[in-house]
Amino acid sequence: MQTLVYLATCKENCSIRKISEATGISSGYLEQLMIPLRRAGLVEADRGVFGGYRLGRTGITCQDVLIASEGVFRPAPCKECQKNGLCKTHQIWSLLQTAVSDFSKEVLIEDLAAHLVDRGTGGGI
Amino acid sequence: MKISTRGRYGLRLLVDIAEHAEDDPIALSVVAKRQKLSEKYLQQVALLLARGGFLNSVKGSGGGYLLKEKPDQIMIYDVLDLLEGSITFEEESDGENAIEEVLRLHFYRPLDEQVKRAFAGLTLADVTHAAWFTYMI
Repeated sequence: MQTLVYLATCKENCSIRKISEATGISSGYLEQLMIPLRRAGLVEADRGVFGGYRLGRTGITCQDVLIASEGVFRPAPCKECQKNGLCKTHQIWSLLQTAVSDFSKEVLIEDLAAHLVDRGTGGGI
Repeated sequence: MKISTRGRYGLRLLVDIAEHAEDDPIALSVVAKRQKLSEKYLQQVALLLARGGFLNSVKGSGGGYLLKEKPDQIMIYDVLDLLEGSITFEEESDGENAIEEVLRLHFYRPLDEQVKRAFAGLTLADVTHAAWFTYMI
């Protein structure tokens, strides 16, 4: 999430080093984080001197990022309950899951980035 | 946020007691068998729920646990809040950077409020009541 918000504030391609400085996330870990994000088309990368990362598209939501990097949010494992459909508490976890996904698909990374730019702490815009 | 075993077992315990309680207290060994949960673990959870004011413990033979209030007075959000310590995504850390702060204030905090709204008014009685389930789907 941090990475995407930061990238949304950058005018040009952004190196791992720059993202690492802004987020405090280590370069090695960032490289790992980028793999599923690239696969999901949320970030794109160029090699070379002016290489680096940028957002893959506009309109990315927090839910897009969370699903790409952590998978679908499941507050409880509930394997046995789902199997027999007898566990009534399962409804509670569905409610929680729905609340989280409904909210996170409404929040755009760009809007979060705008808050960062307002503070003058973005990456160039 | 993941709901822990304590949160999951605790709710199943309350649901079981709400569904089976008449006037007599319910022994944890019975709940353990019915729900296929460990009795030892249920004991710990029941103790926490009793301390938190959701269950009454009755000692002696024929003892066990009773709901402290009627199921329609027991708020699911409050139960989860007790069992989980808190059910929020917002975390403030030392040395938070600007991006973390923006995410916390503009994503995690309103997300927590949304979750709270989703649970508002939801009681144990709603969960044990089948009608709510069909409404959810």
